[in-house]
Amino acid sequence: MKNTNINRRRFIQLSALAGGALTVGCIPTSDGKEQAINLASLSEGAGFPLNQFIKITEDGTITLFTHRPEMGQGTFQSMPMILAEELEVDINTVNIEQSIADRDLYGSQMVVGSRSVQSEYHKLRKMGAAAREMLIQAAAQQWGVDAETCYAENAQVFHKDSENKIAFGALVKNASKLSAPEEPYLKPVSEFKVIGQPIARQDIPLKTNGKAIFGLDMQVEGMLHASVERSPVFLGKIKSFNEAEVLKMPGVKAVVKTKRNVWGHEREGVAVVAKTYWQALKARKSLKVEWDNQDLEKNSTETLFEDYREDAKKSGDSLHENGNVNSVFEEAENIVKATYEMPYQSHVPMEPMNAIVHVEKDRVRYWGATQNPNGVRSQLERQFDMPSEKVEINYTFMGGGFGRRSQTDMVEEAADISKQVNAPVKVIWTREDDQTQGPFRASQVNTLRGVLGENGEIAALEHKIIAQEIRNQTGSDMKAGRQLMGGVNTDYQIPNFSVKGVLQKNYIPISYWRAVYHSTNPFAHESFIDELAHKAGKDPLEFRLNMVKGHPKFEPTLKLVAEKSNWYEKAKAGTAKGVAICERSGGYFAMVCEVKQEGEKIRPIKITTAIDLGICINPDTVKAQTEGSIVMGLTAAYAGLTIKNGAIVEQNFNTYPLLRYHECPEIETHIIPSTDDPAGAGETGLPTVAPALANAIFSLTGQRIRELPLDKMNIIAG
Amino acid sequence: MATINFTINGKKASLEDVDPEMPLLWAIRDNLGLTGTKFSCGIAQCGACTIHLDGAAIRACVYPVSAAEGKEITTIEGLSENNDHPVQKAWIEAQVPQCGYCQTGQIMAAAALLNENPNPTEQEIEATMSSVLCRCGTYPRIKKAMSQLVKK
Repeated sequence: MKNTNINRRRFIQLSALAGGALTVGCIPTSDGKEQAINLASLSEGAGFPLNQFIKITEDGTITLFTHRPEMGQGTFQSMPMILAEELEVDINTVNIEQSIADRDLYGSQMVVGSRSVQSEYHKLRKMGAAAREMLIQAAAQQWGVDAETCYAENAQVFHKDSENKIAFGALVKNASKLSAPEEPYLKPVSEFKVIGQPIARQDIPLKTNGKAIFGLDMQVEGMLHASVERSPVFLGKIKSFNEAEVLKMPGVKAVVKTKRNVWGHEREGVAVVAKTYWQALKARKSLKVEWDNQDLEKNSTETLFEDYREDAKKSGDSLHENGNVNSVFEEAENIVKATYEMPYQSHVPMEPMNAIVHVEKDRVRYWGATQNPNGVRSQLERQFDMPSEKVEINYTFMGGGFGRRSQTDMVEEAADISKQVNAPVKVIWTREDDQTQGPFRASQVNTLRGVLGENGEIAALEHKIIAQEIRNQTGSDMKAGRQLMGGVNTDYQIPNFSVKGVLQKNYIPISYWRAVYHSTNPFAHESFIDELAHKAGKDPLEFRLNMVKGHPKFEPTLKLVAEKSNWYEKAKAGTAKGVAICERSGGYFAMVCEVKQEGEKIRPIKITTAIDLGICINPDTVKAQTEGSIVMGLTAAYAGLTIKNGAIVEQNFNTYPLLRYHECPEIETHIIPSTDDPAGAGETGLPTVAPALANAIFSLTGQRIRELPLDKMNIIAG
Repeated sequence: MATINFTINGKKASLEDVDPEMPLLWAIRDNLGLTGTKFSCGIAQCGACTIHLDGAAIRACVYPVSAAEGKEITTIEGLSENNDHPVQKAWIEAQVPQCGYCQTGQIMAAAALLNENPNPTEQEIEATMSSVLCRCGTYPRIKKAMSQLVKK
């Protein structure tokens, strides 16, 4: 972790925070661990990322300053739960405040990859335990007894040998003078009272009465509104636009050219800036932009996939190899082959992209909803050559993120417009803007080859991934990186197994999308495993079980899902089941999807999952995230984006149908109890959805699904 | 430009010099500062902007402000004083929201349905609730909350 000096301004802010209170943080040590620290002991010039910290004031108020934004994933509840466990306080008495965006001060604040709980678990425990011991120490000193004879419970310290007790608040003054213990006592998991309980989330009441504030809801004194017409073919360049005509529209203040960078590509647009949003939107309808689209309009889904299929013929870069696949293929009489194709997907958070930025001569301020507060800060520092302390980042709840809000292009664009019109500007993207501009979930072609041995087990398997890579979208580097193979299960005991990648480089913008490559590869991988199981004449679940024998996570989850889904019972007429397994963010999922024939159509009626996510901080949140991942996974199996004349065809919910209430199958989530460190819960349920569904459809109809989305085939009941 | 008068959450509102074509959504959010009603699709497909107009659920994103003249509007802010409308209570009990953005629409749609028909069938609930989209996938919990409400 990098060591940077906390500059004077930030230091003062920090001391102000600490005045008359016990403040405890947790800092990284040189050996890569973490250590609790009494923030009152900080001297100027000490520098390190603070991560989260807690503050207990003399009136007993406990506040956790959390540095990770909330987008629905529930960290606003799981973080204070971990703290409350070790601090010995009622979870409902812990207030949560959002820290400002500051990488130097807080370390990474990005919420991606289901990492928040994983990365904060040990820090929060240590912080809570250290504060508890400091409070106990203060009480023991006051009573003149040994700290060993005291304990904390319900925000009070008790003396075992007397009736003495004292509230945390009354101990704050003395405790704040103590050093934080280096190795505070951490509870054994068996004594947890808070962690593992399905405790109601504190942010939920705000989300039932309209009080929760999202980026779209922010208002800034004197702000103008903008709506931006962007190139429908992504890289079109502006030749001209009817500025004079649009300027005459009611409320319009300016019509300006703007730009933003998306993964190395400069993307242009024309912003209509007006007094109100409606005026900006209405005036945009009279805007006529002449684009230089080069030859991008000739591209379509068909032409792009032709490129993918052509690239599938290349041998590819080796991403994983055990045994010797080629020697088996050379000898084999029967090689099973299959190709799977998946479309681009949009993120579709219900809150469309938006940002307010005010660029002034000597400072820049941002208000909005972001997964990446540090990235927004760096973006604005870079864009205006502004020192860090002159950039102010204000972030709100997110109306969904799913990876889209890890990008900062919407902030760059708003800042560019603000600079040009010299006023705070709020840019709101329309749904169509959001849906058609990307960056998208990558589309993919995966080709697989397999050989069955004499015993009906897999003798060799080759999985080739033809895909764009998020971090390699421009430039000439054509080597595929290991991240392309996310979700390809290398825990299967297959004697000869290789994974190859062919980097597909095209200009369609892609980015992180819930579960990233785990949202695509498992459809191909787990479908093909199913194909081989059927070829071998084996039960697909048993076939998998045989390949994960002794695996501490996969074997128990598979066995549990078999039991809970009644896998081995004879299927009712017109129904069938499919199974899939996957690991994501350290979490292990086994999923069974049950489908039912309804006339000519098929409906998934029940999805049963067995999961091992290590210790679950809040099992109710884990279940909610699993339900959410499944619903998003179903939409991604049914719907997708197509490109015609270089532009996205599906512009809004009428053509890109998100799963609706009546289409949602029954979802049953079974959590395997564990004392292991927590794994990520936010994405883990998604990768198995498409293959479990496709495998169930095969089991019901004998039709193998090798191409998504399913809505093209018109087989799913609406 | 026009002057539009209506009642919103029990109070009289008078909007002067507004474009009569402007969707009611922007009048509520931008002119009146009630931001609980959300914008998401702009074409009446997702229901995030659902409000009650003379007691019926409508989509504010496509409803011209001029058509609200003289009407009674309820937004999420006016559904109850203390977050204690039965639908809100059921939503909290079932821990429905995740990101929360669409939940105004979900709650306003459910409240309008139950107001009109306190004992809807499963099909009637489906017909109403399938009109409001949720990307976080809170449908199983909405279902749970609705079944609690109908039981009571």
